Amino acid sequence: MAPYILARESWWITHMKNIQRNYWAYVIFVVPALLIYVTFYLYPLFQSLQYSLTKWNGINDPVFVGLSNFAKAISDEQFWVSFKNNIYFVLFSVFIQVPFIVFISIIVSSAKRFLNFYKLTVFLPCILSTASIGVIWQFIYSPDAGLLNQLLTAVGLESWKRIWLGDEATAFLSILLTNGWQWTGFYIVLVLAAIFAIPKEMLEAGEMDGATGWRKAWLLTIPLIRPVIMVTLLLSITGAMKALDIILIMTKGGPFGSSEVMASYMYKQAYTINDFGYANAIAVIVSLFTAVLSLIFQYINVKTREASE
Amino acid sequence: MNKKMVFMLVSLLVLMSVLAGCGSSNSTAESNGSKANQSTNTSGENKSEAEPFEVVLRHIHIRDTAKQTLAILQDAVKATEADVPGLKISLDGVEDAVNRDVKLKAEMAAGNQPPIFSLFGGADTENYSKAGRLLPLNDILTELGIQDSFFDLREFTVDGKIYGLPESGYIEGFFYNKKLFEQVGASVPATWDELVDAMEKLKAGGITPIAMGAGSGDGWVINMLANSMFVALGGPELQEGFATGAAKWTDPAVVEAFKRIEFLVQHQYIDPNVLGLKFPQGQANFYTGKAAMLFDGSWAVNAITGESSTVKDDAGFFRFPDVGGKGDGYINGGWSNGYGFSAAVNERELQAVKAFIKNFFSMENQKRTLVETSQIASMKGITDIQGANDLIKTIGEAQGSAKGAFPAFDSVVQPQVKVALETNMQQLLGGKVTPEQAAENMQKVQDEANAASN
Repeated sequence: MAPYILARESWWITHMKNIQRNYWAYVIFVVPALLIYVTFYLYPLFQSLQYSLTKWNGINDPVFVGLSNFAKAISDEQFWVSFKNNIYFVLFSVFIQVPFIVFISIIVSSAKRFLNFYKLTVFLPCILSTASIGVIWQFIYSPDAGLLNQLLTAVGLESWKRIWLGDEATAFLSILLTNGWQWTGFYIVLVLAAIFAIPKEMLEAGEMDGATGWRKAWLLTIPLIRPVIMVTLLLSITGAMKALDIILIMTKGGPFGSSEVMASYMYKQAYTINDFGYANAIAVIVSLFTAVLSLIFQYINVKTREASE
Repeated sequence: MNKKMVFMLVSLLVLMSVLAGCGSSNSTAESNGSKANQSTNTSGENKSEAEPFEVVLRHIHIRDTAKQTLAILQDAVKATEADVPGLKISLDGVEDAVNRDVKLKAEMAAGNQPPIFSLFGGADTENYSKAGRLLPLNDILTELGIQDSFFDLREFTVDGKIYGLPESGYIEGFFYNKKLFEQVGASVPATWDELVDAMEKLKAGGITPIAMGAGSGDGWVINMLANSMFVALGGPELQEGFATGAAKWTDPAVVEAFKRIEFLVQHQYIDPNVLGLKFPQGQANFYTGKAAMLFDGSWAVNAITGESSTVKDDAGFFRFPDVGGKGDGYINGGWSNGYGFSAAVNERELQAVKAFIKNFFSMENQKRTLVETSQIASMKGITDIQGANDLIKTIGEAQGSAKGAFPAFDSVVQPQVKVALETNMQQLLGGKVTPEQAAENMQKVQDEANAASN
């Protein structure tokens, strides 16, 4: 038996070496994947870049206009409103949503009974489509018959009643809460899995040394699930940057553009105003900004890991 | 290492050329294909007329409320199929905004639009005709003898060529609840002062005077009211001048119109929840009797006389009251949605198109449009309107007694100006701008748009 396996292995090794020497083999293996990557990723990206330098209504021939679309974005107040909203979106995700997720996960993980019930409950919003969630929450925020205003009336807080989605001050926050409600469950399940994967012995050893309750969570659990928290953060940030559907369904950027994000503003420029050149310029800005944000995040991630090690 | 680099470069080049090859061979294959198709089609024609062929007809009547409109279309399709041997028309229903803003637009960009499709007049028709996608219909209309039958083809006409035919028309004005008006002792207003008087009485009686949902993406709802207001004050020629520079948004008539909108907001004559509601919700507040008036187009008749309405028998209509301006007596109305036809049709498809126009744009169908779907006809000459509901009759009278009609302002300005007015009117509703600021904002956008299109 053994010599046979050895022979096979040596066959494999020699052939591998041949393949490594034969560069055509590389090409044959790499080309299909590269082809797909180029056609569906690089090519559209470059095309977008190309159109961002033109004046184009989507139908007639594009006219080259240089960087004027980017200049337009810089002087466009409405664009800056949407840019700011994206920043709020990211900050909300990082500093409110993720800590909340970790907090809830730690509480749920220490539940002695009904664990599956809790898991199911927090995960439920995640199985609904964004479209249905948007519509459900529109009803909740509705001015007269809406659940939220009805609740406020019922507990005697009539003065807190708002036209939630129609008021500049509350529209975007209302969307952030809805978006948080939708995705929190998904991340909680991720974080929970990480918590349950921590070896029991480690936690028990910690407990013997006097780390219990929130001390245990802060000193043991959170450092041990750090990689998953980082993934959660990264997903939240990129999710916040590409948010579009929920905005289109709930407010379409209204009232008067105050809840617009860059993606929805891009959509409006393309499909309502027919300014595909400008829309492509915004798309390019969004890609660049997301890339920069991810790099900053990666930098902080590496730095803090070095510091903690 | 060097060898490797060279090799990688070579393989990249190979890849690129393969890709480029893909692209061009694809397009040649396609054009070959279509040529082949055409040749088989023509040879098919030579052999026998009845060789089956299919024509796609894109329409937007997919909602429950559009059932009757769809029925009229289906009957015309059947008649057309009977007229042209071998023809099978396949109906392709797509939601209106999806078709107008995404699907048709993409097809137009690629040049693979269906032979017959739902088309809007104004900017859409202009862009598509410039790209050479639309079939000019002048000769067909002359051949069928209906070249002078339509009320108004302005929105579908570019440089004297007609590129589309409206299915029906609309006019805009106030719907009102007769019962609520009676309850507070208000009468149907003919002037602005009378309107204010009526609204004050309604408000005093605890009734919301004007129902409106203009939140979210529905800023166009308040635009309708603003449009009628500034035309009433400044005359129909005012809005024609925005795009040419002959008129400005900062003209006194427009500023005064914006002031009056602000007046309606400040006195809470317009539902204070307006920015939290969408268009259908605002409409529903009227037809469930929660508010006394609704400024809307004649398309609202179906909802107001529909099954969920509680005001079916109490709804009336009056046109925008006189304000003492140059546009008094004019009514906002237009014929802007209908069918267009692809310029890329072949001989047999053209036959189908002709037969469809003949069968669809007939007096019989126009009468059915009025009686069965309660919409304004697009062709002249309907005399017998027996069976039409009272509300649409009232609307017809309002149209008849008007001095003339003017189209919605968005058919005569650039799209970004339309969006800017939505934003500014929403801001006015939310108390975020003054009428003067709004006017200046508008003129700024108009100037930019005018500069860009020159």
